Amino acid sequence: MLAQTVRRSLLEARSILPPTFLLPFRARITTASHTLETANTVPESLLRPGQHIAEDLKEKTQLPKDTKNAPLTPSTPSPAVPSQQPPNTPQTTEQSSPLTPQIRKLLPLLHSQAPHYMTLHIHGHPYLLTAGDTLRLPFLMPRVQPGDILRLNRATHIGSRDFTLKAPEPAKGTRDAPKKVFYLDERLFECRATVVGVESEPMRVKEKTKRRMRHVRRVKSKHRFTVLKISEVRVKGLEEYERAVGA
Amino acid sequence: MPYFRITLLRSAIGLPTKSTGVLKALGLRKRMATVYYPVTPDVAGQILRVKELVDVAEVDEPLTRAEMKERRRPDPGYFVEKRGGALKKL
Repeated sequence: MLAQTVRRSLLEARSILPPTFLLPFRARITTASHTLETANTVPESLLRPGQHIAEDLKEKTQLPKDTKNAPLTPSTPSPAVPSQQPPNTPQTTEQSSPLTPQIRKLLPLLHSQAPHYMTLHIHGHPYLLTAGDTLRLPFLMPRVQPGDILRLNRATHIGSRDFTLKAPEPAKGTRDAPKKVFYLDERLFECRATVVGVESEPMRVKEKTKRRMRHVRRVKSKHRFTVLKISEVRVKGLEEYERAVGA
Repeated sequence: MPYFRITLLRSAIGLPTKSTGVLKALGLRKRMATVYYPVTPDVAGQILRVKELVDVAEVDEPLTRAEMKERRRPDPGYFVEKRGGALKKL
């Protein structure tokens, strides 16, 4: 039943959309769930009972109803419409001018959907986090104590239920240049984590033997790990971001 | 002063001892190791002996091992915003 409606809605969506070359290039902000694709069969109020986008916000974004689906390309699990996203993704528009028209249009929507998640990178490793999460790092963080407040400032994704703001794909490392990861502008969000404490694993004993020797050496190891609690995950609104960029 | 940047891409296992010796003389002990040498006829000859194994580029300035490692190091992604002063007093 559900599959049928989804398929039908997908087909309808495809018929509504203009041909590929007329569509804008791949949106930075994409929908992250199927809910928007079923928008033409189910009333919007039923789809998103928990949250609503204020009317003035809707007017501010000025999305005409017909083209609403175009910049909000359906989320990644859409094998039925692969041709929707042309391969020529724009390269790093963030660096030159952070306030692209799409950011202007879609950041208020992302900002208004309250619980946000982020993919935050610590020492190059990604962690998918949201407010209130407890994160046990795989290492002991040096020079921090319980109670310290860390500011996490490298993110590649900021998402809510329906929208995701993605950073460009990382550039693969070559012989001439090392790998380059493109992060989102750190003025877009604020993420804070509190150092909760240090956790330790149970002692591990590894028996080391040499051939033709009765002696067995036992190597002990007991690692310690820093535990963080994500205390704040906040996405800035458009006005605040404009102020931060302008200043 | 130009420099050769020489990277060992293929190992010399199974090759004549002379190839292994040249790599040892260049200081290339394992694959993907990179060394820098000034552009001289001696080094050019050494490179020609192992030209099938290495990748060579001409650069202006040599990088030290520490600099090469620093270029690969990812961003920490955090900074300490506030020290937990209240907890320290307890």
